[in-house]
Amino acid sequence: MITAVTVSLLGLLALSIPVGIVLFLLGIGVDQFFTPFPLLRGLGQVVWSSSNSSTLIAIPFFVLLGEVLVRGGIAAKTYEALDKWFSWLPGGLVHANIGTATMFSATSGSSVATAATVATVAMPQADKLGYDPKLFSGAIAAGGTLGIMIPPSINLIVYGFLTETSIPRLFLAGLVPGLVMAVAFMLVTAAICKVKPSLGGQSRSFSWAERFGGLRHLVPIFLLFFVVIGSIYAGWATPTESAAVGVAIAMIIAAFNKGVSNEMIKMCLLGTVRITAMIMLVIIGAYFLNFTLTAAGMGRELKELLVGLDLSPMGTLLVVILLYIVLGFFIETLSLMVATIPIIVPIMTAMGFDKVWFGILLIVLIEMALITPPVGLNLYVVQGARKSGQLSEVMLGAVPYVLVMLAMIVGLIFLPEIALFLPDYL
Amino acid sequence: MSQKLIAAIRRTNRLIALLVGLVLMGSVALIIAEILLREVGISLGGSEEISGYVMAGVASWGLSFALTELAHVRIDLIRIKLKQRGKAFLDLLAIVTLAAVATIVAIQCWPVLSKTIERGSTANTPLETPLWIPQLIWFSGWLWFALCSCALVILTLVLLMRRNFDTADSLVGARSELELES
Repeated sequence: MITAVTVSLLGLLALSIPVGIVLFLLGIGVDQFFTPFPLLRGLGQVVWSSSNSSTLIAIPFFVLLGEVLVRGGIAAKTYEALDKWFSWLPGGLVHANIGTATMFSATSGSSVATAATVATVAMPQADKLGYDPKLFSGAIAAGGTLGIMIPPSINLIVYGFLTETSIPRLFLAGLVPGLVMAVAFMLVTAAICKVKPSLGGQSRSFSWAERFGGLRHLVPIFLLFFVVIGSIYAGWATPTESAAVGVAIAMIIAAFNKGVSNEMIKMCLLGTVRITAMIMLVIIGAYFLNFTLTAAGMGRELKELLVGLDLSPMGTLLVVILLYIVLGFFIETLSLMVATIPIIVPIMTAMGFDKVWFGILLIVLIEMALITPPVGLNLYVVQGARKSGQLSEVMLGAVPYVLVMLAMIVGLIFLPEIALFLPDYL
Repeated sequence: MSQKLIAAIRRTNRLIALLVGLVLMGSVALIIAEILLREVGISLGGSEEISGYVMAGVASWGLSFALTELAHVRIDLIRIKLKQRGKAFLDLLAIVTLAAVATIVAIQCWPVLSKTIERGSTANTPLETPLWIPQLIWFSGWLWFALCSCALVILTLVLLMRRNFDTADSLVGARSELELES
């Protein structure tokens, strides 16, 4: 059954059938061929109970929050402010790219939106100031991936939902690794530009007055982050409630920026419904597939397979990591997560790995998938916003940051506290 | 004729999506009202339950909009390598499978609603919501998704028989995330 499911999964995906539909089809197939029960009759109930969820409504809220920030012109202001603070470092604006991407990750849930935003604002500057297009665009693609690690993160909500893990704990666990990676990205950039100054463009410096003048543009973003994340941990609000509050604050900030109009709200709402529906079809499909796989005894079969391989927990972990790196080359990331979580996570927890910790490790792997060709969504997003040059330049530019991610994976394995310290401590 | 029908389906789905978006905004307002009232000691209750129903509605009524906007993710690794006819074939395959699955799901969702109506079930909460209301909204969203996708199958077949590949591509082709944003 494992072989049949895996082969049909990859085959149907390759035929470019929509991912959510593929998951439903597999579920129906498992029901027809591998179980004696009439599982299809449970389909309606599964669809109802998986979508009637006050947890999942945090997804459209966070998507809406990001849409409001981007379409309300707040991203552009943030970038200008960070430029003033970071452009004296070797690598100049590249740091502003990473910084803006990090800050937007912190407030919106989506990596693609983050990368698209920063790319649109930053790209016109790159040519003007003589930056190496490879490093410049690679940094945006990589910085944008932090969006799924630094809370609030839609991917962590999905992980928490599918594995029944506490979402506040996941959010806390993602914070330190996300920030560490942001800093590491900047250190790597500075090191590269120190060695080869020609990559870094002309460095500029701003007066302290200009720097502090720019700070007021960062206040709204920090405020938003602290309210959204703070209210979850202070116990005032559930993730869903804090997302709703975040939407309201973002609207107010955008209104102060004079970025709100009927047209803008319309675009935000349409974008939100489109992205949410796309995500939900995949999640509901995964939920149904999960339901049939459980009934068909997939877990037992996988366990026997792994026991047969006779690997140590660490060996299994390495196999799983390799599997994600390879699959990540080819499969879109959300689909990769929902299709594999129901199968992989139970095995890992049975081997004694922490569910929260594995979630964070998985997110780093997913981030890597976002910037590794041939299917790396962020690479295409950044390339699309550049409007000139080769896609291969973005890919090359992202390589140093992929290495940072690999280092993070090693770090998480040998020092799980990087992720677990905060949730255990608080 | 087919052009007019396509435009009408698109327009309808856009309107539906806007309505869904406004309902989302409404639930944001409801949740915030509940938090504020909680701080002054008044417990409204129920916003959690209602936002669950809203989510079920968003997740079913948004599907057809994502469909006509070509937003449902497809892995186009092989598709982009193909010539026009190959692409058209994969697009047809994709929309036919989608329509089949959507129809099966809609059919399987009906018993959930019909049993609720039969038994007059209410939610096991202080609100005691008659469950047929949210379930009717949820079920009709799936039904509309199934109807829309079946209509797209027929329209695609018509377009392909007329060798109108470009229009077929704009109806059921694949788009990247970035093309969707613009």
